[in-house]
Amino acid sequence: MDELFLSYIHGDSILYRLDPRTKLVTLMVISILVLQTFTFPCLGVFIIFFILLAHLSGVSTGILIRSIKPMLIFFTFIFLMHLFLTKGTPIFQIGLVHPTFEGLTTGTIITARFVLLILFASLLTATTRPTMITNGIERLLRPLPLKRFGLSSFDIATMMSLSIRFVPVLLNTARQIRYAQISRCLDIRHNMFRGVSTTITPMIRESLQTADELAIAMESRCYQGNFRTSLFELKMRSADWVVLCGISGLAVLSYI
Amino acid sequence: MIRINNLSYTYPDRTLALDGVDLSIEKGEFVALIGKNGCGKTTLVRHLNALLMPTSGSISVFGMDTTDTSNVWNIRQTVGMVFQNPQTQFVGTTLEEDVAFGPENLALPQNEIQERVDRSLREVDLLEYKTYSPKTLSGGQMQRAAIAGILAMEPQCIVLDEVTSMLDPQSRSNVLDTIAQLHQSGKTIIYVTQRIEEILPIADRIISMNNGRIEFVGTPKEYLASVESPIPAVTSLMRKLKAKGFDVNGNVFTVDDALLEITKATQVRDKNKTETSGNG
Ligand SMILES: Nc1ncnc2c1ncn2[C@@H]1O[C@H](COP(=O)(O)OP(=O)(O)OP(=O)(O)O)[C@@H](O)[C@H]1O
Ligand SMILES: [Mg+2]
Repeated sequence: MDELFLSYIHGDSILYRLDPRTKLVTLMVISILVLQTFTFPCLGVFIIFFILLAHLSGVSTGILIRSIKPMLIFFTFIFLMHLFLTKGTPIFQIGLVHPTFEGLTTGTIITARFVLLILFASLLTATTRPTMITNGIERLLRPLPLKRFGLSSFDIATMMSLSIRFVPVLLNTARQIRYAQISRCLDIRHNMFRGVSTTITPMIRESLQTADELAIAMESRCYQGNFRTSLFELKMRSADWVVLCGISGLAVLSYI
Repeated sequence: MIRINNLSYTYPDRTLALDGVDLSIEKGEFVALIGKNGCGKTTLVRHLNALLMPTSGSISVFGMDTTDTSNVWNIRQTVGMVFQNPQTQFVGTTLEEDVAFGPENLALPQNEIQERVDRSLREVDLLEYKTYSPKTLSGGQMQRAAIAGILAMEPQCIVLDEVTSMLDPQSRSNVLDTIAQLHQSGKTIIYVTQRIEEILPIADRIISMNNGRIEFVGTPKEYLASVESPIPAVTSLMRKLKAKGFDVNGNVFTVDDALLEITKATQVRDKNKTETSGNG
């Protein structure tokens, strides 16, 4: 299940063929625009836009919508916070608790914004290989003066792809540690605090070991953290420029 | 062409891991390095591609001195290293990305990388798994992927440090076949293992270490002739048969040879029997 969250789905369509940089920039612009919506009609426009893109992508909408699932608690929390804490006309009142109409409106709009952000992001990750995303980010970061912070855009790209590779591995390790402990009759479900501490200690040791072996393996394969090329070189096509022009047009339009 | 001269190494916590090692390895040789846990095998081979620097002594790899820092990247291209754990040396999110990691670091052009990735994957027989993620590969396939990742840098020499120790028997034999093939194609192979039986049939030379020193260097035949243990189960059986008065060679190490020896010995015995019974 955790594997479905924002993961790449094999496929082919116009969205798959766009350059990752185009998609990253477009996602950024859309995110900024989404975060500035204050009215339901505006939200409606973005929802229709999303449905359109999802259809174009060829990815099943069900899979895209499922990527909201892990965030559901967070969304509910945000919604309830607004519903109960916004001042205004109460819908009803039980003791001190009084949800308001104003809270309902802002809560819905703000939650919908976050949901839309995740949905658009899932559209990017579903149609773009992780390597292509990191390559795209690397190319976008390359002109920045990162050297001043002792980093290179290549370092950042490598770190990102290593996280994509090793987060599932570490989650798996955590699961194994838990099973090992349960099988030795340490039932951590009854004691949250003990459970966390007994899982974290071996986890840290395991992660350090992994990091150490990984660093040695990378070093012995000539990793230096500076300029490197890629198996997948990026190339902007005419479709990319069209999309970029379109999105900047949209951005300008929304300001007027 | 590797020359190790009076090499000693002490870890920062003052463990003396290597104590005056002298060794030469020739181009195209298949050398097996064996020894108990903690005898210094890993420490020794990590000197060969400048992952560790000698505390004293010197190493020259294909004419390059490993202590000269300007040589480091050349040395790491010349001597590739494959490690024990399949998980922690797989850096890509797919097989082809992982194999491309080395050539990408060498900043080769894209078409050259593509070519090398395909060629290396074909050599380890994994080309059709190109786009697979590590989750869907077996341990043996991942170790062969690691070998492909090294091949893509086109090294002269490949060091393998207990690469089969985490694998099941079938995967182990696949990985060994791949390594034997690489040796056939002219690569120098340095193979670290705890399993003497897997290398006696394929190695040119056996090097045995103990306590940071080299204890024995010689061909598999010389090894069996001079060493009591560790020896393969087959050899051990043959020695026991010999001790029981069976006239067999106590130094064979393959099942086929053992069968041949036993058949021969039984025939001789049966012939002797009929002769004695005929006389009586
Ligand atoms: N990073 C380290 N820091 C300190 N001591 C170490 C370190 N790595 C290894 N040693 C010690 O150096 C000695 C040689 O270790 P090394 O790993 O080279 O042995 P090995 O022959 O590869 O063993 P194994 O068969 O377990 O892989 C051992 O005594 C070990 O405890
Ligand atoms: Mg070792």
